[in-house]
Amino acid sequence: MTTRTDAGAPHRARRLRPGRAGSAIALGAVLLLLAGGLGWRLTRGVEEFGAGTGLGPATSVQARLAADAGVPVAAGRLPGTPAVPPLRLEIPAIKVTAPVDAVGLDQATGEVDLPRDVDTVGWYRYGPDLGSTAGSVTIAGHVDGAAQGKGAFFRLREVPAGARVVVFGSDGAPRSFTVVSREVFAKTAMPMDRLFARDGRLRLTLITCGGPFDRKTRHYRDNVVLTAVPIGVFQGK
Amino acid sequence: MYCKLVGAVAGAVAAAATVLGPATPALAAQTSQVFVVHGIPGQAVDVYVNGDKVLSDFQPATVAGPLSLAAGSYDIVLTRPGDPISSPLLEVNDAMVPADQNLSLVAHLSVGGSPSLTPFVNDTSVVAAGKARLIVRHTAAAPAVDVRAGGQPVFRGLTNPNEVKADIAAGTVSADVVLAGTDTVVIGPADLNLAEGTATIVYAIGSAQDRTLAIITQVLTGLHSAPGGVPAGSAGLADQSLPAWWYAMAGAGALVLLGGVVAATRRFRPASPR
Repeated sequence: MTTRTDAGAPHRARRLRPGRAGSAIALGAVLLLLAGGLGWRLTRGVEEFGAGTGLGPATSVQARLAADAGVPVAAGRLPGTPAVPPLRLEIPAIKVTAPVDAVGLDQATGEVDLPRDVDTVGWYRYGPDLGSTAGSVTIAGHVDGAAQGKGAFFRLREVPAGARVVVFGSDGAPRSFTVVSREVFAKTAMPMDRLFARDGRLRLTLITCGGPFDRKTRHYRDNVVLTAVPIGVFQGK
Repeated sequence: MYCKLVGAVAGAVAAAATVLGPATPALAAQTSQVFVVHGIPGQAVDVYVNGDKVLSDFQPATVAGPLSLAAGSYDIVLTRPGDPISSPLLEVNDAMVPADQNLSLVAHLSVGGSPSLTPFVNDTSVVAAGKARLIVRHTAAAPAVDVRAGGQPVFRGLTNPNEVKADIAAGTVSADVVLAGTDTVVIGPADLNLAEGTATIVYAIGSAQDRTLAIITQVLTGLHSAPGGVPAGSAGLADQSLPAWWYAMAGAGALVLLGGVVAATRRFRPASPR
């Protein structure tokens, strides 16, 4: 008798009451749904638009000269055209105003040598400047920095089509651009020749990092790229 | 005799250089882009190619071109402006133009001071990002020279009509030319702004004896290459991979759900026989 009673009691105790089982199912389902939704939001990536627009051929003075029949003759002197470097960048859509430094290359890696300060963005000084009439004025900025937190271009991936970007040159004049494309490229598959082109339509190319972050190498997998084209016509050199 | 030189120079360049067009791509293969460089002080000229006048009143220290010339042989004549082609200052027959090259045809003084026409094949291969190509050509009536940058000899013993070249960091260099092995400056110093992704060709022209030594420059653009990458983040604050807490939450959800399902299933199981 006693053995049967003893055996029955633990058996009953192991069993969840019907209400608890239902609650567990509901809670588990909610947690999983939440995980699914958050997972989608976290990994959905940056929505791209307008890929490849804003490029096109430039109608430059050089192209017109080439169309002429005559042979161009130039003085045997080095061209003395001073560049118009950008000094300040404004993107009202994401409330960004950032100083712009002229940057070159990291000699060790051959990569663009961005400013140390993540709130300052870098203009690739070997490429076209604000006085150029063709090619890509390319400005790269940090999405974040290990020691400094969010960078000037943290929200670059949120800038919508048609947003205005204003760049102030060393001559003090503002140039307005309108965003026509947002693209994401794996760093191993960047169309670098296009992003740093010195020919084709004059445009502004803004680059930052994005995509999954590798905590071991401390690198992002992708680059987020915005292309913006000039609003109106401003004086080229 | 210079026609032989054209062939020799063309033959010496085995590597196929990229043909540099001004803005339009070369329409047909076999065509070379030819620049004409005037390096004879004090004498403007008309330039004829195969009997056609291509340049009128072409001034010293200027660079014309490019002309697109199909591979083949050409008769080139330089006259005083307005003079008939029959009374040339300088005449070169059967100058060979190679296929798919970028050439500079330089009218200059030989070492002995007589007018000459020398073709150079321009190295238009791609320049590494951040670099500029410097090419120095001795086309002056002067002995061997050294070319110095910032006071240090970088090219030694350059003679007429030869060239030396190197790809160096883009930027401004202060260059001068000295008699080979000496500190006797014969040209310069001059600040050369070597633009990234270009080839800057510096010609020493004129005559040491006549004290007309000078430099003229020609720039070939479009030889640039893009940087290696854009490293623009190191904190992971914009990370788009799943964080550890997500896995914890999803795992907990799955366990709780599983537990509930197991419990519910047991409830409906028939009582086990005692």
